[in-house]
Amino acid sequence: MKKLLVVEDEEALCLLYKEELTQEGYDVVTAGDAEQALEILNREKFDLIITDIRMPGRNGIELITQIMGMRTNVPIIINTSYQSYKSDFMTWAADAYVVKSSSLDELKSKIKELLNT
Amino acid sequence: MIEKFQFLAPDFLSKEPKELALLAFISQSFFQPFSVEDNLLVILTALTSGSGIGFNRAMLFRARGNTLRGEIWLGPRSADEARDIWEILSTPGISHVEIIEHNRYLLSREPDSLSQKVVPLSYPLGDDHPLVPARSAIRRELILVRESRREPLVDPDFLRTIGVDEFLCVPLFSFEDILGVIILDNAYTKRGIESKDIKLASLCGLMASNYIYAATLHNKMIEMERMAALGEMAAFITHQLRNPLTAVGGFSDQLLNSPPDEAKTRRNIQIIQKEIKRLENVLTKLTRFLKADEVKTVAFDLKPVLLAVLDSPDLKMKGEGIDVFQTLDDDLPRILADPTLVGEALRNLLANAFEATPAGGRVEIRGGREAPTWVAVSVADSGRGMLPDLKEKVFTSFLSTKDKGLGLGLLFVKRVMDSCGGRIEVDSEAGRGTVFRLFFRCAEEGRSEP
Repeated sequence: MKKLLVVEDEEALCLLYKEELTQEGYDVVTAGDAEQALEILNREKFDLIITDIRMPGRNGIELITQIMGMRTNVPIIINTSYQSYKSDFMTWAADAYVVKSSSLDELKSKIKELLNT
Repeated sequence: MIEKFQFLAPDFLSKEPKELALLAFISQSFFQPFSVEDNLLVILTALTSGSGIGFNRAMLFRARGNTLRGEIWLGPRSADEARDIWEILSTPGISHVEIIEHNRYLLSREPDSLSQKVVPLSYPLGDDHPLVPARSAIRRELILVRESRREPLVDPDFLRTIGVDEFLCVPLFSFEDILGVIILDNAYTKRGIESKDIKLASLCGLMASNYIYAATLHNKMIEMERMAALGEMAAFITHQLRNPLTAVGGFSDQLLNSPPDEAKTRRNIQIIQKEIKRLENVLTKLTRFLKADEVKTVAFDLKPVLLAVLDSPDLKMKGEGIDVFQTLDDDLPRILADPTLVGEALRNLLANAFEATPAGGRVEIRGGREAPTWVAVSVADSGRGMLPDLKEKVFTSFLSTKDKGLGLGLLFVKRVMDSCGGRIEVDSEAGRGTVFRLFFRCAEEGRSEP
């Protein structure tokens, strides 16, 4: 079973992603902010990371920078409400950029694509 | 050796020659946080008040697009009323604010205010053979009309409205644009218009022109700044709306696509409702934020406004368990601002202070005169305070340290203070607390430093 880490500060969205992606057959762990995500990443291995950008404390871009420093090849999907971050240099380090929407179809298909499932 | 003087000292009005006093009166009002309309009213007042040139009535046409439109006609409706009004306006030591308030009252009287009679009058600015009064504006000529009924160059509709033999037209213009025209007469005293009156009136006209031109440029600049802010705001709103929408969309999809499960259905609907409330909240706050632009500046007492805010149930709930101290000086002068907006601004600051302060902490509100013409109000909390980098950004970006905060609150307070010609300062130390200081302009003039 592929293991996903979802980093998202909105409680309702954490719950939604966990349920929906579990339903899709993934093992889903959620983190409420970047600090918590790094803590989990130090303990566990993941097949894919989905992260929000604007969060309290360290933001998603800082998180990506830290993950790159860990020298892992884990694919990262940025999932944010902002189209504009796409122009930020560091978001190129992510493998996909999905803007939040009322349908999770795009996010789900990106996950499938990146995991070759 | 140097000697310092107070700029445009208050005794200017009473001691200097009438003409100088008049110009001082007008220039001073341009430094007050009045609206363009109010400042034009000041010029018309200066032209008509007994202590000014003393014309009986003043009429203002302004260029709006390609049309010259009648806007204001200031003056008494009859000779009797004229005497009463001039008595009030000639009161020694009467302030700008009082005169403006009085004139606003004159303009707002129903049903037969003079202004209503000029509003229907309008003239195209492109006219090649314009009649008076448009002729004065279009050709930029100072025109004195005598024996108006025999003068073919006067518009008959205008003549019926003004109904006097003699009147003076003072054009308002800038380097590139026609701005309007002021028409002056002595309908009640029947005093003839002399060359000295014409010179002074034309000087007032030049000042009015400069003022309108500067105000127009200023407004254009503000508009440009607003457009830039709008871009930032659009991105911000998108974010505020997308998160709840993602949740609503996702959980309602679940409802449609999963097998019936009563507990889960109930939970999903609860989440959806909560997110819809959030969307509504974003809209409410946004509407309030945008209202900071609709300003009605008046002179008012700060104390009752502050007490009403402190007494509101939502703030009382937030302030539970916190010691609230309030010390406003008893002789606090009236301030110039929009009372509703100031109330909202105080509510925002107090709500922030209460939210930042743990139970058992302390929030202190102080108010007093600061320098001769300012009133300072401070809101201090013993909360968590801010780090220096946050402090710098506090009034400039959509920023929130609260989970459900929109980051509009302090931006709103800043806009309110800007809109009334006041200012806001912040002092904060992480772990110690934060002090916000609001500086308002006093309504009363003429007091010197103790």
